Amino acid sequence: MRLERNLYMAVTSVAAISLLVVGFVGRRNPGFGTGWSGSANILFACCAVGSAGVIVLCLYWVRFVEAITSITNLLKQNKLPAVKSEGGLRSFGMTKINELSRAICERFAGCSGSNLALEKQVNDVQIKIQLAQRQKRNTEAIIYSIRDAVVVVDEFDRLLMANEAAGKLFNFDFKRSQQKPISEVITSSDGKHKEFVDFLRQSRQSKVRASRREIVLNVPEENSEGKAGKTFDSIVSCVYDDKEQVCGIVAVLHDITREKEISQMKNDFVSHVSHELKTPLASISAYSEMLIDGEAKDGQTAKEFYAVIQSQAKRLNRLIEDILNISRIESGLIKVEKKPISLTILIEEQFQMIKSYAEEKNISVTWGDVGQKPIVFDQVYADKDMISQVVVNLLSNAVKYTPAKGSIKVKTDVDEGAGVIRVSVTDTGVGIPESELKHVFDKFYRVEANKNMAKGTGLGLNLVKQIVEKVHNGKVFVTSKVGQGSTFGFELPLATADVAGAVS
Amino acid sequence: MADKKVLVVDDEIHIVHVVAIKLRNNGFEVISANNGAEAFELACSEKPDIIVTDYQMPVMSGLEFVTKLRGNEATKDIPVILLTARSFAIDDSTKDELQISECLSKPFSPKELLRSIEDILYHKAVMQEN
Repeated sequence: MRLERNLYMAVTSVAAISLLVVGFVGRRNPGFGTGWSGSANILFACCAVGSAGVIVLCLYWVRFVEAITSITNLLKQNKLPAVKSEGGLRSFGMTKINELSRAICERFAGCSGSNLALEKQVNDVQIKIQLAQRQKRNTEAIIYSIRDAVVVVDEFDRLLMANEAAGKLFNFDFKRSQQKPISEVITSSDGKHKEFVDFLRQSRQSKVRASRREIVLNVPEENSEGKAGKTFDSIVSCVYDDKEQVCGIVAVLHDITREKEISQMKNDFVSHVSHELKTPLASISAYSEMLIDGEAKDGQTAKEFYAVIQSQAKRLNRLIEDILNISRIESGLIKVEKKPISLTILIEEQFQMIKSYAEEKNISVTWGDVGQKPIVFDQVYADKDMISQVVVNLLSNAVKYTPAKGSIKVKTDVDEGAGVIRVSVTDTGVGIPESELKHVFDKFYRVEANKNMAKGTGLGLNLVKQIVEKVHNGKVFVTSKVGQGSTFGFELPLATADVAGAVS
Repeated sequence: MADKKVLVVDDEIHIVHVVAIKLRNNGFEVISANNGAEAFELACSEKPDIIVTDYQMPVMSGLEFVTKLRGNEATKDIPVILLTARSFAIDDSTKDELQISECLSKPFSPKELLRSIEDILYHKAVMQEN
């Protein structure tokens, strides 16, 4: 369209200029156009029309140039919206057109540069968003895979993040509790959980980078409907923004109940063992001093003193052996000599020994339901000394924790279907609370309520368990009722011809 | 010291035996018990001049026994020597509160025990004279 209009304007210009030239030449030369009727008038008209055409064309071009100047200025001031290149304009070869063309090119170049920078910025932002999202997912994965309870709150104490362990510990569903105030999420009737919530708030307010506190919480017990007090080592760390202001809190609660129990058991063990070691040592030391000082007035008394020293030295040795045996079994270094043995014969030996000890305390000891020794031909493949130790420990415990006039019953059963022989020792003693039954075979564990009834290190039953289960692939068991008595026992695999052959 | 009566309390029969021989050889009269409960009954009935007791015993511990002694009008002033295999088991405030005259750690020397008994009884006698 523009090309046609320019062509039209050019033709019009030529026509107007031609008419003006014809009119001018005719007026200057009187002979020009003679013979035409009214030639003077025609020439005048040519001059007039040609002049008018030239004036109109001049006005058109002046306006055209003004328009271009105006566009150029706008472009220079960067106010014109982006326009497409106008190839036709270059053909005029005019300065303004060149300027316009250059300005437009510059403008396009500028726009193109801005667009590239903008695109780069957008890309950078997108990469940053992706990295942040990945980092968030990594953080979530780390938090969810931690066994300890982890709770994250913002600067307004609203819950931002929590793992499954935290949900279980404080009994809340994270998805439903997100963004809720932590004091509404973590609640308990006994007020124990409030201590933790207060600790979070105090840590945020104090702005200390990390604080640590032991907190006892009543939490649901595993495999039970009850609750148990557990001790947690809670570490609370502040999260800071660019202006060093606290913008969140991360709390990690590590269950140290077992560690504390073990530590307590170790302390108790050291205390008990030192007492147990010192008692025979005290006798040895005192009797030796008496002998040296000549306090044994006659030969018989001196002999008595020597006998005490010897028996206390043996007692000391037994205690040390017990401790070492447990240690050897645990480390797998103990020398085991397994042979086919008859449990009947073995129990018979220990039974007679313990019977006299029990009778001193006025406790009756029987073997079998009718008080008669059962004849069991089945054999077990076992280390005789170790199993003797097991039987002695069970029988002596029964005597220790059974009051006078009580009774102890030893029983042996053969379960051919299961391929085991079962030995049980039932007493009418003080019994053990149900909550403590699961711990009675633990090393150094002593039932609190019965501690004063008899001395001990808490090693005897642990040694029984180690010998039966670790060395002989058997199983220990216990049932008890407070005030009624207890049954401790063990079962060992029967020695089959195959096993005997394989071992030999 | 021929007329002085000592109550020796320990669940370890050998300890009771050795202390009794040492004291008898030096002119004391000795009575004995194997736990705190038995000892308290004996203290009430026999009114010994001094008591030597073990710390850790079945049925009733040494500390429970002494606490019970101090709560009884007839026995509250009897001097007590505590024998213990746990030297850290008793602090000074408990010792003062229960008026425990001396704590001896096991293993102990019978000679040292005899000397302590004689010192305590001597001071007690001097105090009574004054």
